[in-house]
Amino acid sequence: MHRLYVLPTLIINIVIIAIPALMTVMLAFFEWDGISDPIFVGLDNFRTLWDDSVFWTALTNNVVWTIIFLIVPITMGLLAATMMLVARRSANFFQVIYFLPVIIATAITGRVWQGMIYSPVTGITGLLQRYGIDVANPLTETSSALYGIAVVDLWHWWGFLCVIFFAALRQVPSEQIEAARVEGATFFQTIRYVLLPGIMPTITLMMIMTVIWSFLVFDFVYILTQGGPAYSSEVLSTFAYRSAFYDLAVGKAAAISVVISLFGLAATVVYIRVQAREFDQ
Amino acid sequence: MRKSSLAIAAMLLLGTAQAAFSQGGVSWWYEQATPEQQKLIQQNIIAPFNAAHPDSVLAVDYRGSELDKQLRVAMLSGNGPDVVYTAGPSYVAPMAQSGQLMALDDYAAKFKWQDRILPVFLKMGEYNGKIYALPKTYETVGLFFNKTLFEKNSWQAPKTLDELETLADAMLKAGVTPFAAGNADWRGANEWFVTLALNSVAGPENMNKALRGELPWTSEPFVKAIDRLDGWWQKGYFGKNYFSLTSSEQAADMMASGRAGMMPTGTWQFQNVASYGKKAGTEPGFVGFPSASGDPVFPLGIGSTFSIATRAKNPDGAAAVINYVFSPEVYGTMNSAWQGEWNIPLKDISTVKMASEVTPLFTETMKTLTAAVSDGDYGYTTWTFLPPATDSYLINGIEEVWLKKSTTQDFLAKLDASFQKEKKAGKVPAVPAR
Repeated sequence: MHRLYVLPTLIINIVIIAIPALMTVMLAFFEWDGISDPIFVGLDNFRTLWDDSVFWTALTNNVVWTIIFLIVPITMGLLAATMMLVARRSANFFQVIYFLPVIIATAITGRVWQGMIYSPVTGITGLLQRYGIDVANPLTETSSALYGIAVVDLWHWWGFLCVIFFAALRQVPSEQIEAARVEGATFFQTIRYVLLPGIMPTITLMMIMTVIWSFLVFDFVYILTQGGPAYSSEVLSTFAYRSAFYDLAVGKAAAISVVISLFGLAATVVYIRVQAREFDQ
Repeated sequence: MRKSSLAIAAMLLLGTAQAAFSQGGVSWWYEQATPEQQKLIQQNIIAPFNAAHPDSVLAVDYRGSELDKQLRVAMLSGNGPDVVYTAGPSYVAPMAQSGQLMALDDYAAKFKWQDRILPVFLKMGEYNGKIYALPKTYETVGLFFNKTLFEKNSWQAPKTLDELETLADAMLKAGVTPFAAGNADWRGANEWFVTLALNSVAGPENMNKALRGELPWTSEPFVKAIDRLDGWWQKGYFGKNYFSLTSSEQAADMMASGRAGMMPTGTWQFQNVASYGKKAGTEPGFVGFPSASGDPVFPLGIGSTFSIATRAKNPDGAAAVINYVFSPEVYGTMNSAWQGEWNIPLKDISTVKMASEVTPLFTETMKTLTAAVSDGDYGYTTWTFLPPATDSYLINGIEEVWLKKSTTQDFLAKLDASFQKEKKAGKVPAVPAR
């Protein structure tokens, strides 16, 4: 009888997650315009992707994005969280300041950066240009578009990691920190040998989630450049979206989604293994 | 007691409304519209239609910019609206192919659409020899210019492509950006310029052959067209902020303020051109885009289309709604207040009454376009005549040519491959004979 309690959740999971996920995997083997009847094409959609240079650009961009987000916001978050742990008096104030960009809607953040910072007409870039400083809008150059978007997402994202790390650092037993001080450990030694090992499970989780989220990135790319110029900032999710809703190639879009899921799946397997090892210990 | 009475009254009201709607209601899902625009539709279409057709109450549901996606899902499940409003002819072919749309030939005969609507537009709504869609609005792409700036510099509106290039070079020397253009808000703006290059350099005849599959897109006229367009980009005609500026307001402001001399864009920009010209105290001009021969080219475009769903609950009511939209009254009232979006393709617009605040430039341009279309002297916009994946590639691929990530030959080869694949699948919209 008690098993009935899981029924509502089970139904929701099947209807909202399992069926659409299975249908996406199935559609990856069909040619479908979203209107007429789907036609089975086997692995053709995957072969098309393999030969498509845009797919490889998008995949590379996702990998670059993942590397950036594994290093920059995590380092910034850890550093700021440790600072807040030392200067406890102003910690609450800084937590609010750092967290503020996280709660602003993505579309608004994107438009603010596009219009008030990057725009050569209405933004800081334009102001600098009028003072004779030749600064280009990074979103308009093929070499810098992806990094221009990453800066916006970093600004929006790192505060979240900072607050998570700060919460984790506060759980490190104070006796350990006190003992390190008594033993004469320096500030950096305390971080290296006491604090970081103390919050390693949180860091690991955040890193794995970063990999998953990095392969799902869509919003800022779509708002700021729609994958351009000349596909230079295309990522897998914008590529899938364009395939499904502009090219009316839903099967190809499903195949791209399957590739995205494979990266997420790999990260999840790593996470489960790490967790299992922690349980064993 | 009061609460229960209210609840009963509300239920009765809802029930009556539901009963009335299921008996003779007509549903129409519309795209994004501001509250002011919704008011215009209410005043000029819904209210007069409902007054004249008490048995078929029209209800318009504003679905936002995602209408196309919502429509496709709803049509698949058989729950769509009666009046099917698509984003263009390229969406009609697959819907008609899968039996989601009703053939309109009987209604065309009943309402005498052949006598009232420009024949080319009836032809464009055909699939397998039957009419499935009617275009709501038609448009063209041409060349706006800052008349005040031209008079000040003794510049003449160009007629040939050579004159256009000489003028653009002179503007560059004078520190004026030749073309006010941008795509920061709408990447699709890229194809306005590809459309102009293909029509003015390769010519409508070659476009017609290519769209019918009689000439590959890799052939010489199209190579010349893309090379010429690329030449304009490399010389800096589009300015250095193309990817940062918006295609509508900021481009219009740039031309009106004199920072740019010309603006190659569509008739949908008339409203912005008028308001920014007023703000800057400058007068705008408009000419058909120059061509090699000197005769202006008017590429023909369609913004959206009307069809009737096969599973429509009230197909006769839906046909009556479409028929009502194709009237001189709706043309006059809607086009006066919402210029460029309601250029309904009527054969005869001599009886149309436009509001006094509409600029003569707009009225004259639309008359010229109507005459050009009637004479069969028109070109082809890529967003109307290319199938979806080919058009999507054209928009993004041209950036690769401009930014030297690809060559003209590679770009056209990929475009042709995509076009041939979609043509084989029956996804190319109908192309009327010339």
